[in-house]
Amino acid sequence: MMNLPSAREVYQKIAANIGQVMQGQSAATRKLLAALASGGHVLLEDFPGTGKTTLAKALARSIDARFKRVQFTPDLLPSDILGVSIFNQRVQEFQFHEGPVFTNILLADEINRASPRTQSALLEAMGEAQVSVDGERRHLAELFFVVATQNPVEFRGTYPLPEAQMDRFAMQFTLGYVQSAEEVAVLTAQASHHPLDALQPCVTLAEVVGLKNAAQNVRISEELKRYIVDLTGATRTTTGVQLGASPRASIALMKAAQALALFDGLEFVTPEQIQELAEPVIAHRLVMEPQARFSGLTARGVVEGVVKRIKVPA
Amino acid sequence: MKPPPLLLGATLLFWGWQSEFLVVGAILGVVLESAQLIRTRWEFSDEDFARIWTFCALLLLASALYAFTANEGPASFGGFFSDANPITTTRASSATARTASAMIRWLPMLFFPFLAAQTFSTREAIPLTVISLIARRRWKKLTPADQSSPLARLSFHIGYPYFAATLLASSFHPAEDKSFFWGLAGLLTWMLWAHRTRRVTLVVWVGLVALAVALGFAGQRGIGSLAGYLQEQNPQWLTRFLRRNIDPSHSRTALGQIGDIKTSGRIVIRLRPKAGSAPPEYLREASYRVFKSPGWFAGSLKDDFEVVGEDPPNSASFPLLPGKTNSASINIACYLDGTSTNGSPEGLLPLPTGSGRLENCPAYVLRKSSLGAVVAEGPGLVLFDALFGPGLTMDLPPSLNPESNEDLYVPENEQAALDEVVKELQLRGQPPAQVLPVVAGYFAVKFTYSTWQGRDRGTPGTTPLSRFLLENRKGHCEYFATATVLLLRQLKIPARYAVGYAVHEPSGSGYVVRLSDAHAWCLVWNETQQTWEDFDTTPASWIAEEARNRSPFRWLSDIWSRLKFEFAKFRWGQSKLRQYLLWIVVPGLALLLYQIIFRRGRRRQASKRTDEGFITQWPGLDSEFYQLEKQIATRGVLRKPSEPLNEWLRRVAENPALAGLQEPLRALLRLHYRYRFDPLGLSDADREALKQVTRACLERLDRAKP
Repeated sequence: MMNLPSAREVYQKIAANIGQVMQGQSAATRKLLAALASGGHVLLEDFPGTGKTTLAKALARSIDARFKRVQFTPDLLPSDILGVSIFNQRVQEFQFHEGPVFTNILLADEINRASPRTQSALLEAMGEAQVSVDGERRHLAELFFVVATQNPVEFRGTYPLPEAQMDRFAMQFTLGYVQSAEEVAVLTAQASHHPLDALQPCVTLAEVVGLKNAAQNVRISEELKRYIVDLTGATRTTTGVQLGASPRASIALMKAAQALALFDGLEFVTPEQIQELAEPVIAHRLVMEPQARFSGLTARGVVEGVVKRIKVPA
Repeated sequence: MKPPPLLLGATLLFWGWQSEFLVVGAILGVVLESAQLIRTRWEFSDEDFARIWTFCALLLLASALYAFTANEGPASFGGFFSDANPITTTRASSATARTASAMIRWLPMLFFPFLAAQTFSTREAIPLTVISLIARRRWKKLTPADQSSPLARLSFHIGYPYFAATLLASSFHPAEDKSFFWGLAGLLTWMLWAHRTRRVTLVVWVGLVALAVALGFAGQRGIGSLAGYLQEQNPQWLTRFLRRNIDPSHSRTALGQIGDIKTSGRIVIRLRPKAGSAPPEYLREASYRVFKSPGWFAGSLKDDFEVVGEDPPNSASFPLLPGKTNSASINIACYLDGTSTNGSPEGLLPLPTGSGRLENCPAYVLRKSSLGAVVAEGPGLVLFDALFGPGLTMDLPPSLNPESNEDLYVPENEQAALDEVVKELQLRGQPPAQVLPVVAGYFAVKFTYSTWQGRDRGTPGTTPLSRFLLENRKGHCEYFATATVLLLRQLKIPARYAVGYAVHEPSGSGYVVRLSDAHAWCLVWNETQQTWEDFDTTPASWIAEEARNRSPFRWLSDIWSRLKFEFAKFRWGQSKLRQYLLWIVVPGLALLLYQIIFRRGRRRQASKRTDEGFITQWPGLDSEFYQLEKQIATRGVLRKPSEPLNEWLRRVAENPALAGLQEPLRALLRLHYRYRFDPLGLSDADREALKQVTRACLERLDRAKP
């Protein structure tokens, strides 16, 4: 079992490695790694070209682990992700060919461009860490981390993810455009070759699994559990919200906060970690009423308001 | 919603100016608006606000008590409870009115603590449960999950309610000029400006506000002028539409008018004879002496009114004829439809002939004339007992001088027709005892009752009365009464024309008198008895005739009338209900108070019980770090309720005076956080370290004090 300082060192190594490629995205990296360490999956939603795929690839390259990428298109089939059994003429039997889901890190690019049927195939794998093909259950790897990206839902040619499936993602956040100075640095870095190509794995798979286990052992007090429940509970009764955050959101928030506390070198969670993660963990699970949406109220605004309203334990 | 800066201060100043508390208003305004300069804020909990609210409420009660005693309330109400008569009632109600107006004027002072508390607190809104028992009760019933929701706990900012209350208080101003209107308009415009919508352009907004102000100005001016115009108009012009116009100085008859006399079946008087008393036949309102067609006038006795009893009356008993023995008693309820010069309702009382005394009469002032009219000034509805008996009446005996005796005056243009009747009946020289039966028989046999007067003009130059006597011989009671009076006078028998009501319709245990029962008859001087006696020559068929005009839906209007009567009884304090109500309200309030106390006790128990189920006493709340936080807050760096300590420390570091403390504070915060949020807690050594470091920080803070 990995002790706390070495677990933190693993985090710092990966973050530094990603930082070589992703300029000015340390906050996003922190959240991404918190999701990884807490065993959740991440949905990145942003405009094309902001570095979603690069971030996911940088993470994959930093870890000495299997990495697969699926580009979602409207004609993608579930078997294209899960795998398919093919009759082998030579041995006269069906043989299962594993799909890209049998990996450690899966980049599901533009997930909302695939049909709902394909989407749910992936999401079942995410929720259960197993897949059923031809009536046979197959377990996925111990470290199975999905980084999905999606274009904003208003874009053409998208199948919006249903609420139930949005709930499967521990976090959703955006990268956003970086500062102009940082964008210049990006240009400089990519002038001759892509820095991603030079990226070397810096931690082993075992180390990442150790990080995951260590995060689970971060302590959290009853009072802060209560604070988490207060935050998610408040979203259920806010005006303009049709469907509030589920208990699954509370669990995800707690686990991610534990991971974040670990990154901060703490053995226990403090209110700061919870506040930092409240928006990326809760906001994407809220279903807003159409009227509220038209009046400019966003799910993100609701969570922000809730955080501002609920008295924080100090 | 929060009022814009300086608005409340200006409103308080305006209130001070209008209600002559200028210094107080200025001080309150300055204290309130100093919040713009002073950045220090206190952190009040709901409990604190509830306490301040209770304090304000107690202040309100105490000042109510003060205002009540200062306005002679206890004395007036003492009288009201011990001896409820019109005078004590009036005194009590005016004491109440003065108390209420003083209370409203003081409102801004009384609730200032609450407003100041909110202004100087970190809270933007206070939950409604702080001030409303109902909201608190409803909130208590919710499940814990619902309770935490912001919707279940409606919050408000006291700013605008206080603004409205201050404007209301300013409206109770002694100033008569237009300053209140313009001040009000200005303050409201200011308020609207702060919350104006950006959808409309500035020009449109200003135009609309100006229009609203102009309409408001025109409206208040218009109401004022309309009231003035109506007061200038002859009030009788209005009352003609509303009721039978009875005036003790003159009575217009419908003599000579063509067409039908329409009378309404509205109930105007209710009678209840006391046990053993027979109801009176007539209720007289007034009598008149001089006939000038088509009206009857009081003549020289027009202004001959004297106040009955003392003024103001000390008891509800009014002796109309002191010393008269009255054999019968009847309870009369009637409305006072007129308005006296000082604004209170006034009217003629319908009284039985020979009334000697009024008991339990709620009149403020009672005046009687020598023609037997009694004018009462009092509540809009009066109920009283009239004691009456045969014999002496209030009326002045006819004067003995036959030359100027108005009781024998006959207009010259009527004399010819009257002489013809006298000749026909061969009455000249007969004694009065024989004249009366003959006259009564003459009108009963030869004349018919009719409310309809045809268009037949008759011989040119004749009066309506002579046409009635000699030509068509039909008419209504005014014809009969006028003709009889003049006929008797022609025979040198003093007579007067009386108006009032005939009593004939039983209803329940008493009688009702309708507007259509209005009647006119004749008073004859009985020389031997030295009394005035009723003498009615209208054929008895008139009652049946009136009944024929009855509407089939009269029962409906009678029920309505009864309801209105009961309401009027309550409104004018003529029923004991109002006193009963007070006696009900007092125990009700006591019960409420008891309940509040009782509930408070129960809530204390209830909250204890819930405590067992859910820990609210989190570990580490005794950390010394909080002392430090309090100290730093007094230096101006206040932590918002939703701000974690780390963020707050960053802001503390930004303060140049406290920058040196940043490192020790960070170390301290780590200890504090471990004490608070690490389920394993602190070791004894670390706990001691937390104490020590805090003390050191506090000392450094003290030294750094400028």
